[in-house]
Amino acid sequence: MLDRRHPHITMPDVPPAMDAEQAAVEAHARDKELTKHHFEPHEHPCVRIEHLMKTFDGETQVLTDVNLTVWPGEVVCVLGPSGSGKSTMLRCINLLEKPTAGHILIEDNEITGHLGTKEVNRLRQNLGMVFQSFNLFPHLSAKGNVMIGQTKVLKKSKDEAEAEALKQLDAVGLLDRADFKPAQLSGGQQQRVAIARAVAMHPDILLFDEPTSALDPELVRGVLDVMRDLAENGGMTMIVVTHEMGFAREVADRVVFMEGGVVVEQGTPEMVFDNPQNPRTAEFLGSIG
Amino acid sequence: MRAAHSHRLGRLVIACVTALVALALLPSQAQALTTEKATARPNEDGGTGVIGGMPTRLTWEGFVEEGEAITSVTLTLPEGASFDNTTTKVTVLDDLTRIPNDATATPSGNTITVQLSDPAKEGYKLRLEIEGMAFPPEGGDVVVTGSYESAGKKKDLAPSKPIATIANTWLQQMVSFLDAQPWVQAWNQNQFLGMFMKPQLVLTSLFSLFPGWLVCLGIVVVAYPFAILLGLVFALMKISKFRVVRAIAVVYINVLRGTPLFLQIYIMFFGLPMMNINIDNNVLGVIVMAINSSAYLAEIFRAGIESIPTGQYEAAASLGMGRLLTMVNIILPQTVRRVIPTVTSDFIMAFKDTSLLSSVGVMELMMFSKNLTSVTGNMTPYVTAAIFYLIVTLPLIKVVSTIEKRMAQSERGGGPRPKAKGKESGAEADDAATRDEAKGAEPSMVEALSAPFKAGTGVFGGVADAR
Repeated sequence: MLDRRHPHITMPDVPPAMDAEQAAVEAHARDKELTKHHFEPHEHPCVRIEHLMKTFDGETQVLTDVNLTVWPGEVVCVLGPSGSGKSTMLRCINLLEKPTAGHILIEDNEITGHLGTKEVNRLRQNLGMVFQSFNLFPHLSAKGNVMIGQTKVLKKSKDEAEAEALKQLDAVGLLDRADFKPAQLSGGQQQRVAIARAVAMHPDILLFDEPTSALDPELVRGVLDVMRDLAENGGMTMIVVTHEMGFAREVADRVVFMEGGVVVEQGTPEMVFDNPQNPRTAEFLGSIG
Repeated sequence: MRAAHSHRLGRLVIACVTALVALALLPSQAQALTTEKATARPNEDGGTGVIGGMPTRLTWEGFVEEGEAITSVTLTLPEGASFDNTTTKVTVLDDLTRIPNDATATPSGNTITVQLSDPAKEGYKLRLEIEGMAFPPEGGDVVVTGSYESAGKKKDLAPSKPIATIANTWLQQMVSFLDAQPWVQAWNQNQFLGMFMKPQLVLTSLFSLFPGWLVCLGIVVVAYPFAILLGLVFALMKISKFRVVRAIAVVYINVLRGTPLFLQIYIMFFGLPMMNINIDNNVLGVIVMAINSSAYLAEIFRAGIESIPTGQYEAAASLGMGRLLTMVNIILPQTVRRVIPTVTSDFIMAFKDTSLLSSVGVMELMMFSKNLTSVTGNMTPYVTAAIFYLIVTLPLIKVVSTIEKRMAQSERGGGPRPKAKGKESGAEADDAATRDEAKGAEPSMVEALSAPFKAGTGVFGGVADAR
């Protein structure tokens, strides 16, 4: 496969996506030991990433060959040094970045390749995303931020959306800040509003892109508490790119360590943190913790 | 040649004789006291008009014809005129010789009767100078009528030629009042002040320029909504995915921004009539201003849209919003906030640029002041026009700087805070930023715009907040 704009770079051919049944069986066999999450043999993974590759400008290769399956209700924490491709992988899942090669399947539906705008938008409704820099809409109040997706995308009535918004703001402990503008909220509060905004769409999967990295240390806890609550009581499928080792160890069903655009190691928090198999993982964890 | 000449001369002689005969016959047949002159002196201001309701001097002259001996003359003016408290100077002339006469004048409302001690004989000229009389305040052409007594018989006077008078408005009174003020006279003695800031002209031009000011405002106020709409369309075209659409927008914007408005006005105002498209001047003015501003606004909007960080697009996309939804609900509302100061500045420019329309005969402020200046030979109307422009632009300049200050503040996160509703939640340990007291609700646009006009407004309490 040749990149049209950079013909001198040869793209590796990747095999076609696996058959759903076969993939489920294989993934089940592989992941059974790697996660604390309990899933049944007949279940299918809700996210399946096969040979994902991403190149920026045809030159900078960020993802080399990522393979990952995520099961419904599972909380996966993705760790790794900066530049390892964690965020890019996450952004590929809801197509904020267009994968260069490889396959991403959501509920066994392939989203890579040529998807129409409508399909992409529908896909994204099911994939909530929380950004490192919050990305709240500054012209809307906290409540308005949580409502806008419901009214404009889900076409809910204003009352319905407002009730849902207040419920979600209550869940993140910000009911009394419902009418505040983002600029009037602290970073931690903004990120909690952003989580409420994502959750209010009732997505199947929540993607967190370093949700606490832009926060002052004293504000991190509030956000992590909200995320823990979502994981433990909401039963939400979550893929969390983070540097918070404590959170990963406590909350994650599985920890994935990425480096150089590949998944280097994955397993339960105990396996990865206490007994890392890969020397790079050990080195990284050592340098962090 | 000679024959023709003498023939023409003969005709001229005949004409003259006929005219003389007519002149000689007409008065003697009609009236025996002929009104020769009825004039009024302009009021005290050195202007050229006679203002009604203001003290002035009426001069009346009559010629005594054959066989008369005038003992009294009564002059009558229309209702509203007044001879009260006048002093009348009566002169009786025999050719150039003054004939002594003890005359008494009896004013009574709009009539005045002059009694002569000795009758005025044939060939005499009678002159009455009535000082301090006033014409009817409503102005208009005033005719002097009346009667006279000759040898015991009362006869009517023929009506005089009309005297043009100006209505006495309160403005006129103000001007006359100013005329009488010593400080105004001293002020106008100064060459600069008298030429650029003559108080009387400031006063009168404020009123006579007002319609022009309204036209200016009207043109720009009507044009601007269209300009905003057009500008938005071209801004969106310029960031379109399609190369052709982008190219159209680029050409439109660059041509309009790259040529002077003056030239565009000339092309439109002189070009369209040549194509037999005739549009009312004011409407065409609106069209030209709208098109010209739209190009600038398109650039402002484009820059505004592009200044919205990518994160906003991504956040909208992650909620499943399409391009249109994102644009309408997320990007444009934020753009509007960002561009308000720049758009207001552009509005100020557009408002000032309406002055260029005077060059093609749109009756706007500049045109009015130009006309007034050429009539009065004084620069004051231009200065008054400047005042009119500033009435609009200064508050807007203030608005721009206020909004800019406020935006800088909200970008620092120091904006005003609404009151927290309900109970304080427990998990507020991290809320250093919201610990400050609430400072009233988010100001509405109306409040924001009117803020600079209010003293000590609490709307922008963010200053205190930020510290």
